[in-house]
Amino acid sequence: MAEPIITVKNLTKVYRVPERAPGLSASIRGLFKPKFQDVEAVTDINFTIRPGEMVGLIGPNGAGKTTTLKMLSGLLYPTGGEAKVSGYTPWDRKAEYLQRISMVMGNRSAMNWDIPPLDSFRVLSKIYKVPQDQYQRTLDELITLLDMEALLKKPVRNLSLGERMKCELVAGLLYQPDVLFLDEPTLGLDVAMQRRLRIFLKQYNQQHQVSVILTSHYMADVSALCERVMLIHHGRLIFDGALQELADKLAPFKLVKLQFTTPPTNLEGFLTQFPSVEYLPSENGHHILRIARSDVPKVTAEILSNLPVADLSVEDPPIEAVIDQIYEEGKV
Amino acid sequence: MNHQGGWELIKNTWQSWLQHRGFFFLLAFGWMLPLLVYLMIWSAAASEGSLAGLSQDALAGYYLVLVLVNQLTYATTNWTVGDNIRMGQISRWLIQPMSPLYHALSSEIAGKVVFMLFSIPVTAFLALIFRPQFNLSWQQSLLFIPSILLAWALRFFWGYWLALLAFWATRADSLLALQDTMIFLLGGHLAPIRLLPNWMQSLAKILPFRYMSAFPVEILTGFLDKNESLTGLLIQLGWTSTAYLLYRLVWTRGVRHYEAVGG
Repeated sequence: MAEPIITVKNLTKVYRVPERAPGLSASIRGLFKPKFQDVEAVTDINFTIRPGEMVGLIGPNGAGKTTTLKMLSGLLYPTGGEAKVSGYTPWDRKAEYLQRISMVMGNRSAMNWDIPPLDSFRVLSKIYKVPQDQYQRTLDELITLLDMEALLKKPVRNLSLGERMKCELVAGLLYQPDVLFLDEPTLGLDVAMQRRLRIFLKQYNQQHQVSVILTSHYMADVSALCERVMLIHHGRLIFDGALQELADKLAPFKLVKLQFTTPPTNLEGFLTQFPSVEYLPSENGHHILRIARSDVPKVTAEILSNLPVADLSVEDPPIEAVIDQIYEEGKV
Repeated sequence: MNHQGGWELIKNTWQSWLQHRGFFFLLAFGWMLPLLVYLMIWSAAASEGSLAGLSQDALAGYYLVLVLVNQLTYATTNWTVGDNIRMGQISRWLIQPMSPLYHALSSEIAGKVVFMLFSIPVTAFLALIFRPQFNLSWQQSLLFIPSILLAWALRFFWGYWLALLAFWATRADSLLALQDTMIFLLGGHLAPIRLLPNWMQSLAKILPFRYMSAFPVEILTGFLDKNESLTGLLIQLGWTSTAYLLYRLVWTRGVRHYEAVGG
């Protein structure tokens, strides 16, 4: 197995946040006797990432995802622990390190809004010291992959959100970084544009073997791009493994959808013999059963031999429902 | 050091600023106005001969050069530094392999070019009206060059380290307003330094503010003899180095303290 490109050990970040009650008198008191509260944003996180791997970092708002990315990109000094990315300690912010990584944020722009993207790209290519011929080649490739020829000469402020995101991705990849931190890259985009960007990221990752950590609130992003997910909750890493494994662990049941040639007279009565089966309200003629994984073969066999079945399908519960459950309960 | 990237950034910033040239021209006009008012007041006061040895023509020369020097040394950029830190905008510069100082320098240099596009023709026109008088020696013009470069560097780095205090205090830019007031009083705006009361003159010669604006003007308009000019340059160099060191100190500590808000 290849050496990890990212190694994180006991990473911890505690913010000191000023605290005061609302109102004028409280703010005057705060002037003389400021009160602070320590907030643990990230606590004792450990993981490694292999070169070329694409990992989803998920968790509810305020879980510590962005703080983790900010420490790995060198923006924040941690309170404790260590990290090595591409052999460098991120918060030393060495130019050689910054040249190897890229951070693309869905809610923050790296572009100058007054001028066309092409001009911003050229400045970035000089800042990152990309040789002219390599710059041209990379730019052509990215422009083709993202299908954005038409946007290059308009000032950035006149572009739509989706078009701007394409520009942000080009800006982030122009210098061919080894590591890409993507913070909510599809934030606010319509479904078609989200899909487009996902296809692009997948293609780009396959062609260039860039290592990616992706945070997103859209499970579709994560399930389309990342085989592995890390789940953060209240600053702690509570799961690190395959997305499917997470789903299996959390949702030890499957959904069986049934359609009948003639409506069965006593379906619910028939089902009482299987204690692990839960009958869910039917949806437009489909009957849905929630069945424990281990019981699925037995129950479906019984149903098929005893009831007038026209169609039967076995499905996993939607990932959104699974994730929602963890966010609510705070544990895996 | 990343000069190539810095230079590309300057060209780009210039391009984007030229898009808003109307705004910058108005700004330049606004800065010019108070100085012209003081010129007229002091000219009126000197109408019966001279004031502390300054004739009307000499005062006109002083204030017209000051208009240009003031705009060349005024560090507009510093007003945005605090906002960039407070709103977390500086994040995107911190992750680039180039010192964020280049971003400040690029808007400084770009800004100067845009302001001069307006101010030089306007000042030339005013010179036709006020008929300033200069007794220029080549030595003076030679000393003027380092003095104006240092004046810019001093005014810029002094404001920059004050603005960087935004890493700790969210409204550090009020200190910039204080700097402007000190320059107004002790930097030769309200009156040429030699018209001030003695105690203010002594203060002006020790504190950094005169060296941010009036000092190069005094050299060019022949207000100072050779000794005064050289001593002044030494003091100016001392303050500039201090300002630079303070910037380095505040910067290295500030970045560690930075909380990268937003996003």
